[in-house]
Amino acid sequence: MISEFLSYGFVQRGLLAGSLVAASCALLGVFLVLKRLSLIGDGMSHVCLTGVAAALLLSANPVYVSVPVVAAASLGIMKLTQKFRIYGDAAIGIVSAAGLSIGLLITALAGGFNTDLLGYLFGSILTVSKDEAVLCGVLLAVVLGGLFFFYRDLTSACFDEPFARTRGIAVQTVNTVLIIVTSIAVVLAFKVVGIFLISALIIIPPVSALLVSRTFKQVLWLAACFGVSGVWVGVYFSFVFNIPSGASIILVNLLVLAGAYVWARLGGIGHAR
Amino acid sequence: MSSVIEAEKLNFAYLRVPVLEEISFTADAGDYVGIIGPNGGGKTTLLKLLLGLEQGRGKIKLFGQPLAQFKDWNKIGYLAQKSPVSQSRFPVSAEEVVLMGLSDRHGSGVSLSELKQVHEAMQKTRTREYAGRIFHDLSIGQQQRVLLARALVSNPELLILDEPSTALDPESREMFFNLLGELNTRHGVTILLITHDTGEVGKYISKFMYIDKTLVFYGTKEEFCHSQAVADKLGSFAQHTIDHLHNHGHCPLGCSCGGTQK
Repeated sequence: MISEFLSYGFVQRGLLAGSLVAASCALLGVFLVLKRLSLIGDGMSHVCLTGVAAALLLSANPVYVSVPVVAAASLGIMKLTQKFRIYGDAAIGIVSAAGLSIGLLITALAGGFNTDLLGYLFGSILTVSKDEAVLCGVLLAVVLGGLFFFYRDLTSACFDEPFARTRGIAVQTVNTVLIIVTSIAVVLAFKVVGIFLISALIIIPPVSALLVSRTFKQVLWLAACFGVSGVWVGVYFSFVFNIPSGASIILVNLLVLAGAYVWARLGGIGHAR
Repeated sequence: MSSVIEAEKLNFAYLRVPVLEEISFTADAGDYVGIIGPNGGGKTTLLKLLLGLEQGRGKIKLFGQPLAQFKDWNKIGYLAQKSPVSQSRFPVSAEEVVLMGLSDRHGSGVSLSELKQVHEAMQKTRTREYAGRIFHDLSIGQQQRVLLARALVSNPELLILDEPSTALDPESREMFFNLLGELNTRHGVTILLITHDTGEVGKYISKFMYIDKTLVFYGTKEEFCHSQAVADKLGSFAQHTIDHLHNHGHCPLGCSCGGTQK
């Protein structure tokens, strides 16, 4: 059954794109979770609705329209917290509500988009195009490159931001790049798990990895592995049991999280949060 | 003697409420400056301004360079009063935390010379024994000593410390102040230290700075002991400080006032 499952081109493309984007989301998610910004993925996903609705209205590619919309919104969250000294979670809530309401407004004005919009809300990994798969590959390359060349800057800026600034690290730039790359990851991920579940790809694998890891590098590797394996096992279950792939992927991730929790409790080697 | 810090007419306001007004001073190489003052007097804000962590008005030069152009951050070691890392569950070892004090490289690799520097700094702060332990598994006092090692790892010429001894037990505190004294006297490290332990660090400090929104006093400890401005300004806080300085009939600052007030 597995060979039959893997023999389909659209399955191969979906699995490849899903793995690439899940690994990117998990790696970025490690930093966001540790900076207590994990819900920014949730806020961005709601803003995705505005991008998708606008793209469908304009008959444009939702990915290309959503990237600038979500990036602008996430930079807006940063500005709200820095310039207006609004708490991060409140800023995310404000931008998230704005994104959702504008998206719904566009949808209503356009008379609804029926199945197209539903596909984006709940994900359809098997409809990923070749171009989108290539974009997912570029995204992961950017994330891995950033980690390789700026590992110390990233860890230092996440661990102790004021101190990092006294080391001459451009913390503001690090944060901005992290947020913009996350925006792109979120947009590419909505094909995989759907707008509603994107934040789970950012939060759950890193939290699972943090439960069972002793070092930061271990956290990064394990988070990426958990994210990728969640996509593979989730898509397989989706194929076998004929269930929505997005929900299946996230449920597998939740099972991994439960397993990591039990492992940490029994082995006592992790850092239960 | 070359100036390490030149501050001119520093002003800072938070939500239009003045926190610091017209602060000007110079710290020379080898100075050991104890910064004191009441809570909310702007001591921490002053240090943050000097490090560029807060933006105010006025001119700041570090090692002769305007702050905006200053790049040689390895020359400065910083230890915050309340570091955000004390509540962090970041899975890094104590050794990795100390390594963060070196800013020359960006990637994940660690050179042998860097490791040597890290181990030397941990030796100085007696934290070598738990180098491999996860930082957040350590006690608050142990964490503080690791953070001191992080401040020292680049062999800084200027140390900026904001009430660094509050979480330390008496033995660690003594080790800590002795180490600072040694760095200052033997290696000529300039130190700016916010402290309420005026009695404990008095024997090492060469200058006192009293901040209460404005610069009330800045001078040698002898001048501090005899300053009418200090006596006039301090009020109830003065009694607390003076008690510290003149317990047992002698001045623990080691000045020539003989333990008596003017």
